[in-house]
Amino acid sequence: MKISINKKMTHIQLINTFWVILISLTLFSAYMAEQAKPGLTSILIMSLVLAIKGRIIVDHFMELKDAHVVLRTLMRVYFYVIPTLIILVYLFPEQIVKWTVL
Amino acid sequence: MNAITHPARPFGAKPRKIPGSLAIWAAILAEMSEFAVMFIVYFLAKVHNPEIFAEGPLKLNTTAGTVNTLIMLTSSFFVVRGVIALRNNNSVACSRWLWGAVICGGSYLVIKYFEYRWNTAQGLETETNIFYGVYYYITFNHFLHVGWGSAAIVWVIYRVNTGIYTKNEHEGLLNIAVYWHMIDLAWITIFPLLYVIR
Repeated sequence: MKISINKKMTHIQLINTFWVILISLTLFSAYMAEQAKPGLTSILIMSLVLAIKGRIIVDHFMELKDAHVVLRTLMRVYFYVIPTLIILVYLFPEQIVKWTVL
Repeated sequence: MNAITHPARPFGAKPRKIPGSLAIWAAILAEMSEFAVMFIVYFLAKVHNPEIFAEGPLKLNTTAGTVNTLIMLTSSFFVVRGVIALRNNNSVACSRWLWGAVICGGSYLVIKYFEYRWNTAQGLETETNIFYGVYYYITFNHFLHVGWGSAAIVWVIYRVNTGIYTKNEHEGLLNIAVYWHMIDLAWITIFPLLYVIR
């Protein structure tokens, strides 16, 4: 019983900690939006922040960390692909324009 | 410790569980695909109109976007705490956490409404340029999701309060919980794309 209560407390504390991390990352993003000059560094940081936030919600809020592997992979990949696209669009806009002109 | 929290699956054992039902995950993957199409439209419009997309976020109300992001994340946190409360056989606490999420959802909608009014007063409308066209299309779509998602949580609260969901049987609650997290995931992607990145 004692172990069970400790495990519950640990889970709640873990969720509380992730909420604090998510809020901190959002405030950091807002600071970047107001203060940082547009550039590769800020794009990389924004992409990383999005990937981290997505991973926390997918793994711990949706509880997919120990769930079915297909579901977990699909949801995790989403937050690899979107941040990667943000970086690629910043680095190679002209190439993408060439590929997407009708 | 690892052996307790992440037990190895024996050869031939059934695949690991799915949080909620398979049906809700089909819906979630469909919705995530829908938002992915919108994000691809955003990326294509951005590379073809770099100057418009560099100036667009500067005129938006970053404070409203930030506050709504904090609200959405907090609402997701409340939903997780509600699920944990029910698993601990505390339906009263579960109901309170879920009402917190509903209040967050309602607050999001009110802030978004005033943000749209503020935009209109600044002359930022769907026809202003392609950035605002994309902005309104994506954010209004998300606005609708928050609306019906909040209503679904109210329905779940009713079922918690009437004892339909119990510690051992609450798949409906899990369905709405993961759906709400999907709405949160969509917003945390929308926020940097439209408000932060130039």
